[in-house]
Amino acid sequence: MSKIIKNLKQFSTANERLEGAHLLCPGCAHSIIVRELVNCTDHNLVIANATGCMEVCTAVYPYTAWDTSWIHIGFENAATSAGAIAETYKVLERKGRLNKNAENTKVLAIGGDGATYDIGFQFLSGAVERGHDFTYVCLDNEVYANTGGQRSSSTPVGASTTTTPAGSQSIGNKTTKKDMIGIMAAHGAPYVAQVAPNKWKDMIMKFQKALEINGPTFVNAMSACTTEWRFPSHQTITVSDLATDSLAFPLYEIENGVYTINYRPKNIVPIKDYLAIQGRFKHLFKPGNEHIIEEWQKRVDKKWVQLQKMEEMTNS
Amino acid sequence: MSKEYVLKEVEFWDGAMASSQALRQAEVDIMAAYPITPSTPIIQNYADYLSNGYVDGEYIRTESEHAAMSACVAASAAGARVTTATSSQGFALMIEVLYQASGMRLPVVLNVANRALAAPLNVNGDHSDLYLGRDAGWINLCTFNQQEVYDMTLMSFKIGEHKNVRLPVMVHQDGFICSHTAQNVAPLQDDVARKFVGDFEAVDSLLDFARPVTYGAQTEEDWHFEHKAKQHKAIMDSINVIEDTFEEFEKLTGRKYNAVESYMMEDAEIAIVALGTTIESSIEAARQLREEGIKVGIVAPRVFRPFPYDKIADALKNVKAIGILDRSSPGGALGMLFNEVTAAIYTNDTKPVINNYIYGLGGRDTTIADLKQIAKEIQANADAGKLTTPVQQFSGLRGPKLSFFDMESSK
Amino acid sequence: MANVGWDEVNDAALLNPFENSMQDLVNTAQSDRDYSLFSSFSASTASWRVVKPIYNSDVCIHCQNCWVYCPDSAILSEEKKMQGIDYDHCKGCGICADVCPTNPKSLIMYEEATVEDSALASWPEKKKKEKKA
Repeated sequence: MSKIIKNLKQFSTANERLEGAHLLCPGCAHSIIVRELVNCTDHNLVIANATGCMEVCTAVYPYTAWDTSWIHIGFENAATSAGAIAETYKVLERKGRLNKNAENTKVLAIGGDGATYDIGFQFLSGAVERGHDFTYVCLDNEVYANTGGQRSSSTPVGASTTTTPAGSQSIGNKTTKKDMIGIMAAHGAPYVAQVAPNKWKDMIMKFQKALEINGPTFVNAMSACTTEWRFPSHQTITVSDLATDSLAFPLYEIENGVYTINYRPKNIVPIKDYLAIQGRFKHLFKPGNEHIIEEWQKRVDKKWVQLQKMEEMTNS
Repeated sequence: MSKEYVLKEVEFWDGAMASSQALRQAEVDIMAAYPITPSTPIIQNYADYLSNGYVDGEYIRTESEHAAMSACVAASAAGARVTTATSSQGFALMIEVLYQASGMRLPVVLNVANRALAAPLNVNGDHSDLYLGRDAGWINLCTFNQQEVYDMTLMSFKIGEHKNVRLPVMVHQDGFICSHTAQNVAPLQDDVARKFVGDFEAVDSLLDFARPVTYGAQTEEDWHFEHKAKQHKAIMDSINVIEDTFEEFEKLTGRKYNAVESYMMEDAEIAIVALGTTIESSIEAARQLREEGIKVGIVAPRVFRPFPYDKIADALKNVKAIGILDRSSPGGALGMLFNEVTAAIYTNDTKPVINNYIYGLGGRDTTIADLKQIAKEIQANADAGKLTTPVQQFSGLRGPKLSFFDMESSK
Repeated sequence: MANVGWDEVNDAALLNPFENSMQDLVNTAQSDRDYSLFSSFSASTASWRVVKPIYNSDVCIHCQNCWVYCPDSAILSEEKKMQGIDYDHCKGCGICADVCPTNPKSLIMYEEATVEDSALASWPEKKKKEKKA
């Protein structure tokens, strides 16, 4: 069952299910998010993890960082795997072959944006469409970090990555970020949400909700990447604060089509402040590139208006 | 509980039906599949049993074959008896996950209705897909007719799930020629079949929280080699369990299977080595040739992986010439079966003359007359004590004769 | 972990984090768990550190910000009280010091070689709030 977590002191009594001495970079947001994910519930968890930083750094023989059942098959098939495990649970329960200790189990899939937005997109779409009872959490750091910082379809415009390097003839990545949350909502998934690790309470509320709701649920977790976004490792939460307060990553949820904005920053920070702290956007502050930031700000403003309208419309 | 499906002593089944009836009797928990010709009827039949209560399971209708095999791997790791079926392009799409299934030692059963690989696109039978998966670490059982499809599919669960094996198993049948043509099949009744296959015992299940387990860890240069070596030993050793299972099956049904099948080899002077339905045609060709005085026998690996190197060598030790037939486009080499069989007989004291035929690609009919012609060429090699033809020849191909490595004339 | 031979490696490269069967994992504290050598709990990333956090319990208000934001499960917390740093697993990222809300901070990053006692002896004074101009 989901436990009621009122405050951090209470949360801190949770017994760890993700151990340290995994091999993620110092300051990595992935493990902050996933620690909160696996520790916010009392359910037994089976995790299907797509290839990516989280996978490659937590299960390198002879060590596993996982204190729960975990499987990694490939880059693209975490959603399929989770769906199949959920179906297995159903069959074994029906046939009386389920272990007694497996009652009260939830199935999770974890993937990066490479696995989710790109190579596993079809698999995720299929698994969500089929309606398996599982929760998919995307650790969205907007880049293929594990393979050395290549762009993904989640990479925002203007980001300098190793496959879209900024240079005299290039502003970096030329495409805008794919709207995965909208796409998942369009599948009719009963619950879709965006979270950020700095807002831990909002994040675990949504993780708990996603786990409790029957059917395929999807959570996109903003995961600031110290290595590829190029900021010092101690600033992960600072950068995350700027991401949520600038509305680069608005925190909202869509439950059965109904939008709820979960966080309205008291003071909305200009997008340029969020960009300025990250090395991947350094070139945008050179003369001649002002328009990139201006256009970005317009997009953020527009999206925020849209979200509020959606909230109003779907709640009326 | 599933309903009993009463079967006649002899049924008239195509290969797909033979396979799906065996899957039904094995009480598969999860089928995850994507349709592709000619394997499709296998999964359709299973869906029909499911819809009518003849099997208690779940059919995950995945959006691709890659997802189908992914679902099989995950469900197997979670403690389910799982299966899927595919052909050709679908098989090719599964390849990545085939290696995951064997590397994680999961006893998935895959029925393959063998079909050519594009381009150019072709839906008919050849062994291109079988060859494509040969290094994937799966046990490969070959069938030559519908009865064998039924028998091998039943046995595949028992073999793969054996505690000393724990490996995935493919059962191959020729696309269309076997999958879509019917012959008499003598099935077991449900209770007998179920008892033979046995209950599925989950090992290292993801759904056992008393012992949480991590599947799919990374092993780099300091560990990978040891793990792959151990996996290789497991598949090499599986031959013992395969042969034991064949023996147990013989006691139950009277049908005897061997790792390497030999037909009319007792007094054979020459041999044809092949796979699939070509075996039945070759047997018929051999009967006719024997009336003409040509003593031809047929050797066929029933177990293609683990490759029965020693038993192939033994089966072919007394012949003067061998023709080895490959039903797959060799892509710039001699046929794979030719290479493997040649390697096996190299250790024999006898040095038969050997040649290679590429035949029947994309479902091109291979007739008794074609096989008789091949046997006559092999006989000519035996008589001459040396090659009278190039090493590799294409059989049944239109246009000028296509052949490679004319060793004698280049001397 | 010793590099054993092919005959001794785990079948299928499976890893079990616990030695024996674990009856009630979510209600069993790390200290009461029977970790196997295959759990990364048994491993250390201490050598990754260039700087390390030093904890001053006198200033700490046990808010658990450091616990929740630690990416390496390296904040030792028991019964809602911060207990210190798990230096086997801490990589020295500095997030804990960054998110510490006390004044002065209860966690400060020091060079790895710093002796804890000397750091504590010269802990910074409370900073006065700068008045906004």
